[in-house]
Amino acid sequence: MNDNRNSNDMKKDFWKSIKDYNDDPEVLEVKANEFMEGVTDDFDESKLSGISRRKFIALLSASTAFAATACTDYRDKGEIVPYNKRPEEILTGKANYYASTCTGCSQSCGILVKTREGRPIKIDGNPDHPINNGKTCAKGQASILNLYDPERLKYPMIQGRRSDWKNVDQEIISQLNDSKKLNKEISIVTGTLVSPAMKKLFDDFTSQYPNTKVYQIGLVSDQIRREAWLESYGSYDYPAIKFEEATIILSLDSDFLGNEGSFIENMQKYTKKREVIDKVSFNRLYVAEGRMSVTGAMADYRISISPDLQYQFVLMLMGELIKSGSAINLSNDILSKINSVSGDLKIDKTKVAHLLKDLNSNRGKSIIYAGDTLSNDVHVAVNLLNEILGNTTLYDYSSSFKSLMHYAKAEELSQLVDSMNNDKVGVVIHLDSNPVFTLPADFGYESALKKVTATISLTEAVNETSTLCKYALPINNQLESWGDANYRSSVYSLQQPVIAPIFDTRQKEAVMLTWISGEPSTYKDDVYHKYLMSYFNNSAYSKRNRLSDEKSFWYSALHDGVISYEEEIQRSSFRLNSFINTKQDFQSNGYTVHLTESYFVGDGRFANNGWLHEVPHPINKITWDNYASISPALAKELNVEMNDLIEISSEGKTLTLPVLVQPGMADKTINIELGYGRTVVGDVGNNVGFNAIGLMTKNYSSSPFVNNNVSISKVNGKHKLVSTQEHHSLDDTFVKDFHRIRKIIQEGTVEEYNNDPHFLHHEKHEVFGITREHKYTGVKWAMSIDLNKCTSCTACITSCNVENNIPVVGKDQVERGREMHWMRLDRYYSGTPEDPIISNQPMLCQHCDNAPCENVCPVNATNHSPDGLNQMAYNRCVGTRYCSNNCPYKVRRYNFFDFRDHFEDEYYQNNLTALINNPEVTVRSRGVMEKCTFCVQRIMEARSDAIAEGRELKGADVVTACQQACPTNAIVFGDANDPESRISKLRKHNLAYHVLEELNIKPNVTYIAKLRNTHPEEN
Amino acid sequence: MSVVDHTKELSVVEGKPALRSLDDLISKPLETKPDKKFFIALSITLSMMGLFVIGLGLTFWYGVGMWGNNNPVGWAFDIVNFVFWVGIGHAGTLISAILFLFRQKWRTGIARFAEGMTIFAVMTALLFPLIHVGRPWLDGWLMPYPNQHGLWVNFTSPLLWDVFAVSTYFIVSLIFWYVGLIPDFATLRERTSTKIKKAVYSTFSLGWRFSNRHWQHYEMVYLILAGFATPLVLSVHTIVSFDFAVSILPGWHTTIFPPYFVAGAVFSGFAMVQNVLIFVRKIFNYEHIITLDTLEKMNKIMLVTGSMVGYAYAMEFFIAWYSGVQPEQFTFLNRAFGPYAWAYWIMVSCNVITPQLFWFKKIRRSIPIMFVVAVFVNVGMWFERFVIVVTSLSRDYLPSSWAYYTPTYVDFMILIGSFGFFFTWILLFTKALPVVSIAEVKAVVDDAQPSHKGH
Repeated sequence: MNDNRNSNDMKKDFWKSIKDYNDDPEVLEVKANEFMEGVTDDFDESKLSGISRRKFIALLSASTAFAATACTDYRDKGEIVPYNKRPEEILTGKANYYASTCTGCSQSCGILVKTREGRPIKIDGNPDHPINNGKTCAKGQASILNLYDPERLKYPMIQGRRSDWKNVDQEIISQLNDSKKLNKEISIVTGTLVSPAMKKLFDDFTSQYPNTKVYQIGLVSDQIRREAWLESYGSYDYPAIKFEEATIILSLDSDFLGNEGSFIENMQKYTKKREVIDKVSFNRLYVAEGRMSVTGAMADYRISISPDLQYQFVLMLMGELIKSGSAINLSNDILSKINSVSGDLKIDKTKVAHLLKDLNSNRGKSIIYAGDTLSNDVHVAVNLLNEILGNTTLYDYSSSFKSLMHYAKAEELSQLVDSMNNDKVGVVIHLDSNPVFTLPADFGYESALKKVTATISLTEAVNETSTLCKYALPINNQLESWGDANYRSSVYSLQQPVIAPIFDTRQKEAVMLTWISGEPSTYKDDVYHKYLMSYFNNSAYSKRNRLSDEKSFWYSALHDGVISYEEEIQRSSFRLNSFINTKQDFQSNGYTVHLTESYFVGDGRFANNGWLHEVPHPINKITWDNYASISPALAKELNVEMNDLIEISSEGKTLTLPVLVQPGMADKTINIELGYGRTVVGDVGNNVGFNAIGLMTKNYSSSPFVNNNVSISKVNGKHKLVSTQEHHSLDDTFVKDFHRIRKIIQEGTVEEYNNDPHFLHHEKHEVFGITREHKYTGVKWAMSIDLNKCTSCTACITSCNVENNIPVVGKDQVERGREMHWMRLDRYYSGTPEDPIISNQPMLCQHCDNAPCENVCPVNATNHSPDGLNQMAYNRCVGTRYCSNNCPYKVRRYNFFDFRDHFEDEYYQNNLTALINNPEVTVRSRGVMEKCTFCVQRIMEARSDAIAEGRELKGADVVTACQQACPTNAIVFGDANDPESRISKLRKHNLAYHVLEELNIKPNVTYIAKLRNTHPEEN
Repeated sequence: MSVVDHTKELSVVEGKPALRSLDDLISKPLETKPDKKFFIALSITLSMMGLFVIGLGLTFWYGVGMWGNNNPVGWAFDIVNFVFWVGIGHAGTLISAILFLFRQKWRTGIARFAEGMTIFAVMTALLFPLIHVGRPWLDGWLMPYPNQHGLWVNFTSPLLWDVFAVSTYFIVSLIFWYVGLIPDFATLRERTSTKIKKAVYSTFSLGWRFSNRHWQHYEMVYLILAGFATPLVLSVHTIVSFDFAVSILPGWHTTIFPPYFVAGAVFSGFAMVQNVLIFVRKIFNYEHIITLDTLEKMNKIMLVTGSMVGYAYAMEFFIAWYSGVQPEQFTFLNRAFGPYAWAYWIMVSCNVITPQLFWFKKIRRSIPIMFVVAVFVNVGMWFERFVIVVTSLSRDYLPSSWAYYTPTYVDFMILIGSFGFFFTWILLFTKALPVVSIAEVKAVVDDAQPSHKGH
């Protein structure tokens, strides 16, 4: 090639076309432009998408990676089921709330069910409900676990074998018709009836099968109170008490703040006079009881008295008080009856003097309230005493406890058993009731049941009755059911399903409707829904003269969950004769067994709920058991201590159970909680505790719950009771009153406070730090807990458990001290073992500013957020447990095992129970430390809402799970840096203190010191 | 009784043995086949180690829950064993480094073995921080290493200081030990005839030719390393004690901890070395090398450190009272009279009372009695850590969270297993390396050094 040749005159060696060869200008121009014309025309950088080459490659590789992983078989694992078509009302990641009614007990609290992607994950109170005002008890909170209990009855069974509904309905209908023909009784045994629609359904059933009889039973119910009220006032409905107006309250073995009656409502009313925000004017609570109840622990004065002496006690009070007059006219008969009672009650004279003085000077403003387990006679006497003092002004007739039917009396049940034995009963239907367990054995119900050919049990899970029944039919959980409730006058609430039935279960009412129709094929899923709606339109709609049409009204009622209307039950004057008929209890000089309702398992219906078994008892912190609580004196007399077995026998019935030495018990009283010792229930609840129903009898002298004809003896052997708090002997001087010495509990009296509001902080030392303080600008989270309002009801713990996916660890692990509750309710005794003073303290992560846990973590897994949270990064946690060791409050919880895997052979590790988990909270694995997060997921949700709405995050936007559940609003949470917030004011309150202040770790949970309303002269 | 001339140093090696015979004697275990007794001993330690493996297997499979640890007692046997074994590992470097700097010639007979025990004890100790965590597969996170998450370790955590302190101690001790072994490797290289041994010894002796120049360098390196290791002897247990002292727990939060821990560590380390050497000198016929005088000197050190420990116990009580802080006062009363009083009194009687017997010369020189006393000291020192760790945790500030700790069978498997692990190494050591430093011993035999007839 010639190097000198120039491109203009030399021809190319290689050419694409003739034009090219000839250097056609067209070709030259094209060659000059690298790209074809038009190709680069709109190459405007600003118009291009912002994706850089680097980003593009990253996206490409990421999408390849996604595509690769997406092609794996995850769908087949059934772990993720995306919505192909999103249901209109569901937005993924956003919770939906539905108002409904709780059926855990007869109180029928309004609930708000939180659902995520269609599955219920939390139950809280319905704020629109006038009775429970947005709060629920521990049972209500934990009852959601029953929906996901893997041991629920999943399909109908005939004699223990799987069957189908059509078959079952067919057989039962023919049995019902046979009974009708043969004129045999059809018995329906039901729990407390609170649903008016159900009542109508019973009526319909009875008109179809005229020989039907309905028996309403309850293990511990207000039956005695109602019957006494019937005697005194001629009505089975009784009014609520205006506790919020009472200045003096005397509770006679009534746990009205603990688990009796409408206790959530009572707690709220009671604490209205325990406010320390403004002026302090407290009510004064006297409790006379033989056991140590939650109410007793709250008392300003607590008098230990055996339950069989309560009648005498009331009459003694009456005798003293009528000396200064009576609000009603008393005949001589009455006066002599009152004065007839004498005898030394051996109770604290000073306290009684205070009580008499207070009752006398607060006539019309005080209330005497007897417990559900006391005898009819005590109730009648209490009714009279309230009349004498003019306390009837505190009866709230507009909020009465209504009854749709009466409880079956012992005689009626005996008759039923006789009829069953004599082949006069054709069909027995157990409607969500378990009489084989709950009825005293001497009824002979169990053996009688075996003589009936058609026995039916409609139940959620197997129980003692259903295994004996020919037909065991699974019914819907409360969250799968329609229903209504009208337990209180003026309040009618609705229950709606929030999830389709998970198993082949049916609504019990719908099953009954099918039987009424006499044709199995008439069953439809919505048969009871329609029935309820038509009932609602005919009754509830008319109660409120609404301007809206029926349908809109129905929907609005369903939305609110509750409607209120004007209703007042009739009042009548006291029937003095009822008092004349009362009599003193049979007196024994021996021991008295007092059977009371469990705080957690109810009548045994929650016996398969691990969360409820694991919640520590409010007073003695025992989990997973019941026991005989006895006084320290009795323990000494019997030479027993905790965990030793004693045998209690009464008229041939014996019960062996472990002893718990409970300070404050009346000397010869033995308290046992009912509902434990279920034998047919499920892996969780089988044989947990001891069945004390065995000590009950149908032929009781005064109250079925008080048995003073018993003997006790020590027997060999032990049964380990496990508690979450060590039991120190109260008179052990070595560790006595540490909570006061260490200022963990700081208390005072109303008098002290009124004289000197600053009294708590006189001895306060200034604490200096040597490091620079971290400044918190913006939001800083803090909590305060008002100890005046805390009754240690444990609703907070249970709510926290549900919200934060806290696992159940089981009795063996609680014994090892490994319960996982993020919150605990500490209980401290002071005073003497005979007359202890109880102080409660909810204890949770204090989110210290100078958190000692943070600096010792070698991997920075626990650290501080800018808004003052002590955070845990579970992923980073190696599990050295150093943080827990260095936490002075010991509120950190360690996953010693994978507890879901460890408990009862993976009981809670199944596809069904996993649905209960809150998707916003990590499920922690083993080897990881965890603790209270101040519900950081709720803070984050509130923050993202605030951002979405373009406003600043306010402290009041966040409500923690414990705060939400607290029935008395003792817990306040919010932004400490917001001077207007409640929390910042409470932090500056005169009664505010921090636990272990002197460590200078600057905790952010403020406690408001408890004031006791004792008589001034005592100080 | 003969009159002792106190102006003259006692012979370190008795009987003025021929230097050649020392070579023969010390290298004999390496040149003969292990006998039946060795295998019996090994099978025992291996069985114990088997328990270790099973215990750890259970722990790794199910979780730390297999142990007795609870809330509030987050640390128990795991950390007790850790501190115990680190303590055992204290005598070796103290003997070889500090006593070397102090020109204590009697150390030569025991230094090698004590250093070996240090290495093995620290190895045993190092296992515990690794296994005590809930997720042991993430142990690597305790090391600061650059990573894509930008995560870094927390340098304020004493546990992290521990990781550095103990691993540094381990590495320095290992190097120190190895440097001391180099001349002996060369001696062994010269003696052996098998090819493999020759290759191994040649490699490890790093071309040592016993030249004057080699010795000069060697002495200098040894001196420097001794100087380097000396502060480590004090620092490692100081930092281990920071695990407790830096916390705010009553009973842990104590400024006396660093010296008290170091004294205790030396105390227990000497007891363990003394125990093991009593067997070694008997089995290998080293009575004239590891002499009764040496043992007596060790007993004296135990007496001193034991008294220091006793003083620390008393001072803790005094300061607790003097502080006027109620939780602090209670913690100590609770140790002595609370539910763990049994552990406390085992500790006091073993650590404070028993070593006082060493005031008597007869006891100091009686092998059976000194052996028993040293065993008690080791038991006592284990309980000391138990008392510190467990009793403080089980009853701290809030009485509501108090709980009693009871160990499980797995805890005991791991405790016994750790001894198995340690003694397996010791046994293998006796057959693999000269348990007495040949070079050093030869240097301290009477008249081994050139002298001018006492001038």
